[in-house]
Amino acid sequence: MNQNAIKDLLYKMADDQLILGHKNSEWTGFGPLLEEDIAFSSMAQDKVGQSWQLYKILNELGESDPDTVAFMRNAEQFHNSQFVELPNGEYDFSLIRHFLFDTAELIRFQMLAESSFETLANLAKKIKGETKYHSMHANIWIKQLGSATEESISRLQDSLDKSMPYALGMFEVSEFEQDLINEGLFAGEEALKAQWKTKVTEVISETSLILPDMESITPVYGGRYGKHTEHLQPLLTEMSEVFNVDPTADW
Amino acid sequence: MLKSLDPRVNRLSIPDDFEAPMAAKEQLDQFETYQSFIQTKEGKPFEHAGTVHAPNEEMAFLFAKEQFSRRGTFCHALCVVKTELILVSEFTDNGQDVYDTFKGSYSGDTSASFEVFHSVKRGKHHKHIGTVEAKDFEDALLASKETYPRDKPVFNVWIAKSEDILMSDEEDADIWNTLKEKKYRDAIDYKAADRIKAFKAEQG
Amino acid sequence: MYGGGNVFESMKATALAEEDPIKLAEFEARIDRGEKIEPSDWMPQLYRKQLIRMIEQHGHSEIIGALPEGTWITRAPGFKRKLALMAKVQDEVGHAQLLYSAAETLGKPREQQLEDLISGKSKYSNIFNYPAFTWADSCFISWLVDAGAIVNQIANSKGSYGPYCRALERICAEESFHLKYGHHCVIHLATGTKTQREMMQAAVNRWWAPMMHFFGPSDKISVHSEILMRWKVKMASNDECRQQFLDMYVPKIWELGLTIPDENLMKNETTGQWEFSEPDWEEFKRVINGDGPCNKERIAVRRMAEERGRWVRQALLAPKAKYVTPLA
Repeated sequence: MNQNAIKDLLYKMADDQLILGHKNSEWTGFGPLLEEDIAFSSMAQDKVGQSWQLYKILNELGESDPDTVAFMRNAEQFHNSQFVELPNGEYDFSLIRHFLFDTAELIRFQMLAESSFETLANLAKKIKGETKYHSMHANIWIKQLGSATEESISRLQDSLDKSMPYALGMFEVSEFEQDLINEGLFAGEEALKAQWKTKVTEVISETSLILPDMESITPVYGGRYGKHTEHLQPLLTEMSEVFNVDPTADW
Repeated sequence: MLKSLDPRVNRLSIPDDFEAPMAAKEQLDQFETYQSFIQTKEGKPFEHAGTVHAPNEEMAFLFAKEQFSRRGTFCHALCVVKTELILVSEFTDNGQDVYDTFKGSYSGDTSASFEVFHSVKRGKHHKHIGTVEAKDFEDALLASKETYPRDKPVFNVWIAKSEDILMSDEEDADIWNTLKEKKYRDAIDYKAADRIKAFKAEQG
Repeated sequence: MYGGGNVFESMKATALAEEDPIKLAEFEARIDRGEKIEPSDWMPQLYRKQLIRMIEQHGHSEIIGALPEGTWITRAPGFKRKLALMAKVQDEVGHAQLLYSAAETLGKPREQQLEDLISGKSKYSNIFNYPAFTWADSCFISWLVDAGAIVNQIANSKGSYGPYCRALERICAEESFHLKYGHHCVIHLATGTKTQREMMQAAVNRWWAPMMHFFGPSDKISVHSEILMRWKVKMASNDECRQQFLDMYVPKIWELGLTIPDENLMKNETTGQWEFSEPDWEEFKRVINGDGPCNKERIAVRRMAEERGRWVRQALLAPKAKYVTPLA
């Protein structure tokens, strides 16, 4: 097994889940209705929990322990897509990001359930139920708000238009892409993107929203190679504020 | 702008003039209510878990799942039903079986299917007792009276049409399979007696 | 998380005289037999009003209580703490949802309850009007404020109103996680590095006075208590709850080498009662009436959440939807 290839894959997934889970947890206590506040928090916890498991696998492969990896790196050492580090904005953006990201998340983990790297395949199988709920939640919300009032439709449309270049950036290929595919570790970003497009198109077609023409959009790449927006470093600094008071302490 | 110790609040950019009395809140927090029932294990009866507010049954299901079964190990299946679609009997006093207050006899008509829930003790949740077939709600009460022998009095009955209940799919039961690492939500995951002991020993 | 010190409505002596004496006698007999009152039962107006008031204040305390700890939700150190704090704050929101439903069964829709919170008409637990300056403050809240709340809630879960008792059963079960988690955090700080210890001690110093206020003023003078106790609305006096809390937790605080900022605090072995400096009840009143360090912020944040969520709820609202009071 190509260690560098698998580590690269694990890092980008773990970083995505951590950063988005962190961002989504900001809604706890501020949600648009009580019940949704609770549901959104659960999904944020799932993401952070999944990132933890992925960092544990990395730890088994010789990387530092999860807390050190998550709380001590700088922005340029993170491999998350830029999409997940964007500010939460209003609920429309958070919801559209949840939909676009979690649709990919579900498919990615379904693909990984077939991975030749057994540890990862087992994890993917274990979290199937979580990702299924995330996708169920996202689809129901998008269908509901995407065909409700003039305001909800136009808000979602704006967020969808704004998100799409970043969402496509999630599928930035790794320098080890071919190794991953050849070794049966992961079927690859292109294959994932194709399935994702079909699913996203299907859900959006049941709403009054118009899907931007993906072929004419330039994806925002760079995140997978450590290039980030100005939002990531402050996020990380905030996240590790207490941890960094004394990184050697037991909190 | 309001300055807070909470960085999240600072990002909300709350204006300083929020003290001015707020215009009357729009009446938007009042959705329909749904009753949620949970089955903890396969084969066990569904038990009432509580109420959610939701605009439709799909969302009621989404919400009930996280509000009533987020500690997933205790859930196998979940169903929701709109509150107004539940027929509620009188609540009798301890000692009197509410079924004794229903007069008449069951028609034998099997054109519709109904789910029956009983409360056998004041203060306890209603539990699913079974399914009966009848022509309408009143008839279903009588069908239930005939169908279920009671050694203890029943104080209150809820009846809902089976078709009005949104039930989790058997194939989706895995949405309650969570990572064992979800223990962080449970008291049992926090043991520190050794640390206290070591600390005390060190202090002499 | 709610500690008592409820603000009850003032009662007119005539209120009970207007009730049907036969129904009132049946109602009281049912409570005396230890049976629960359910939503569709006949109940005196006063019982209904006081329960709504109490359950609603409890609900508000949960949702506002999510804010001081939420202050640290993005900064919890390490995975385990991060996940636990997210889950704990989420539970508080969940508790508000359960409690608002219980109050709804008595006839006050959630809409109105939320309105009364953000308009400042309803009260919530005073302690949440204090700021969480450091991570250690959030640990103090998770452990000791929740501990205080559990004392009160366990007492109330044996009360007479079915839906409230059921909500409290669930809430108490979840709070046992909060309590253990909070204790775990405090233990780690108190037995940790010098910086951690200092941080924890400073939090204890800041939170002790609000903690003593948490249970409310001494209620030996209260004229309302007698009938509310007879009807099992109020299950334990403020003083009893405070004593129980001190009895259970002061030794646990001391064993961690932490000090409590009250030199008069000690257990009188003869009476079995804890003695302490009289809390500053003037400050308590001042804060309850709006002049605490965070009252304005707490309400402002709830209003902001309400405002920002408006378009979402508007879009979800079905024109023909009919609100029906929850059943149980």
